[in-house]
Amino acid sequence: MKTEDLITQLAQNAKPVRRALPPGALTARWLLVTLPVLAVMVLVMGPRPHLLALLMQPRFAAAEILAAATTVISAYAAFCAGRPDEPGWKLLMPVAAFLLWLAELGRQCFVLAVQTHGAALELHADWLCVPAIAITALVPAVAMVWLLRRSAKFRTTHACLCGAMAAAAAAELALPLFHAADTMMMVLVWQMGSVALFTMLGALAARLGLTALHA
Amino acid sequence: MAEEDPNWRSWLAAAQDGDTRAYASLLAAALPWLRRRARARWPGSSAADIEDIVQETLLALHQSRHLYDPDRPVQPFLFGILKLRGADVRRHRQRHSGRETAIDDISPDAGALMTRDTQEQDADQHRVMDALAGLGARDRQVLEMLKLRELSLKEAEAETGLSISALKVASFRAMQRLKQALKGDSDEN
Repeated sequence: MKTEDLITQLAQNAKPVRRALPPGALTARWLLVTLPVLAVMVLVMGPRPHLLALLMQPRFAAAEILAAATTVISAYAAFCAGRPDEPGWKLLMPVAAFLLWLAELGRQCFVLAVQTHGAALELHADWLCVPAIAITALVPAVAMVWLLRRSAKFRTTHACLCGAMAAAAAAELALPLFHAADTMMMVLVWQMGSVALFTMLGALAARLGLTALHA
Repeated sequence: MAEEDPNWRSWLAAAQDGDTRAYASLLAAALPWLRRRARARWPGSSAADIEDIVQETLLALHQSRHLYDPDRPVQPFLFGILKLRGADVRRHRQRHSGRETAIDDISPDAGALMTRDTQEQDADQHRVMDALAGLGARDRQVLEMLKLRELSLKEAEAETGLSISALKVASFRAMQRLKQALKGDSDEN
């Protein structure tokens, strides 16, 4: 078909469309769904004793702030990914945030390992982390797919990866509020491992979900 | 990126509200710009590939025009679609190029198009068998004996009880009808 004929056909089929919300507004909507879900999850599971005092500790607060930053940045990147006029560097922001978060946890692990003569490096099975992350992240992940259905027209895989990371980071933001890890190495391996696992599997499921919604 | 025509923004915003004339104006104005940008980005691509990329871009624009924010310029939006869809088209081409052969310059009866050595012979045989099946029982019997099994007239006379001259006449008429059937078949093709 000649391009000029294609233009005529497209112009004839130009029905009115509802403008998609900008990435910032979509991120705000997603947080409006996600934050209450996290709060309910902490309340249902039972908050850790002396939680306020815990939040005042710089080490704990730093990890929580970085988890929150990764959550918000990843969600924003997911909503940017599907838009053709958003630059590619915005898609790399979640990676930078996640690495910074991981580096801070690694630093804390190293410092505690030195202070406790290696006790912080102890590692044993903690099977609660995987389902806790998965269940807490489920509703944020579904909300993400629902909000992405109209905007993820391009770079869909990137959008799904960023979206799944946002949901997993949100779950990891809530997890330390109701579940204590015995050592820092447990946090690094079991909790962050669960985040990475959920990001991969969640992205795959989100990709399938978006394909079904677009069909 | 050169300064864009200020009309582009208002045209695309109006197209989002269903204004077909504004949309047609935008697409017509954007077409040469898209072709130029595609040629500059992929200088090694053929004219047909560039046109494919431009068409894919226009289709993607049509499906995602709700993503455009009227407060922002149109050219980065269009160029973003061109880059992403162009990369998709080129990736698709590269993935399939090993399994495809351009046949535009090959004569239709060239041996290169054959999948088997006996392909042409098989096709002819199939046509003859079809034409034979369409003949009467007597014609089929005579042709089978004299042409396929290659019996002599005497042997055929002994087998059918017909005289040699009757067999000659029957064979001639059956051949005429077979030719007619084959001719009709080729006319249909």
